[in-house]
Amino acid sequence: MTNDFREKTVLVIPCSGIGKVHGLIGREATYQVTEELAPQQTETMCLALLVKGDTDAVTAVQTHSCITIDGCAKACAQKNVEMAGGQVAKAIQVAEAFRNFRGAKPGSATSLTEDGWNITRHIAGAVACEASRVAASGEAIR
Amino acid sequence: MSAEVTKVGIISCSGEAIPEGTVSRLATRRVLELQRPDVTVTLCLPLFLAGNEGERNFARTHPTITVDGCSKQCAKWGTEKHSDPVSSALVVSEILGNAGAACHRSCRETSETDLEAVWAVAERIAAEVDAVLATDAPRDAAAETSKGQCACSSPIPGGTVTIRDTNVTIPGLTLIFAQCAERGIPAEGGDGAALIDAVRIYHAIGPEDEAEYRAALIEAYRKFRSGMSGGE
Repeated sequence: MTNDFREKTVLVIPCSGIGKVHGLIGREATYQVTEELAPQQTETMCLALLVKGDTDAVTAVQTHSCITIDGCAKACAQKNVEMAGGQVAKAIQVAEAFRNFRGAKPGSATSLTEDGWNITRHIAGAVACEASRVAASGEAIR
Repeated sequence: MSAEVTKVGIISCSGEAIPEGTVSRLATRRVLELQRPDVTVTLCLPLFLAGNEGERNFARTHPTITVDGCSKQCAKWGTEKHSDPVSSALVVSEILGNAGAACHRSCRETSETDLEAVWAVAERIAAEVDAVLATDAPRDAAAETSKGQCACSSPIPGGTVTIRDTNVTIPGLTLIFAQCAERGIPAEGGDGAALIDAVRIYHAIGPEDEAEYRAALIEAYRKFRSGMSGGE
């Protein structure tokens, strides 16, 4: 689980935004996908490695399809993957998912309520479906 | 803003791949919210690349402590590459030793071991904050943000609309309108439903106020699209 992305087909990369609950939801959705829903098809990596310009991380996003999960409209995960030369197969924004959960009180930047976990599961399901589609289409590894 | 209000910036690595990354993130939040809320601020590390010049200036306007999960020290490296040298650099794996490997990445699995790790790292961060404040020269804190908040959320300009004769500020209204424009929502002729849906994600709108918001947002969006200053 330490940036072991070489054998996987799709990289799921959240922004892990530290300021709001949205970042935590994206991070937890990533773990649900990579550890439970699609562990054979997906893996995550440290977005900070891309910020650093780590050679292995840059190569990984350039040779694997990526699904990014961003907390807010600044889309840091998507932008950093694209700036590293990676291909974003699907860019998800947590804030958009809130449309389906009006009035929800999801928690904070450090803990999720049941509403927050429901939103997390909703996003994780969408990501897992997209990862399966990408893997089946052969787009995953270039 | 005056030098007296200079705050210490704490930048955590994202560290999605390792438990120490989650510890780093949670310990940083603990210091921001509970231990040193009046003298600390933060910024999402990926914003150094994806953000604007103001965000990249973060370490120039704040004495900064980085908190990294592992020895790769991505937060330290990224901060110094895109901003300024940091005042202090902590590494969770060095603070916790082998105990870090027993922690979990997901908050769903939080155990007593995880909590103790977060507390230990938070204590260390807080001690570094105190040391930095005692020694670091005041800086130009033009990018100062409010306590316990991510700096990335504070500078977003809010927009003001009038609801029942009261000015109401909606955080990030300009960005919301920009997204609406990108989605092709027209400035004229719409019923405002799409605007209401978009704003509601970020701002609570009670059923009794929906009609007022609808009218105000349609007008503010029309001005936004025409390049006027309405909604700002």
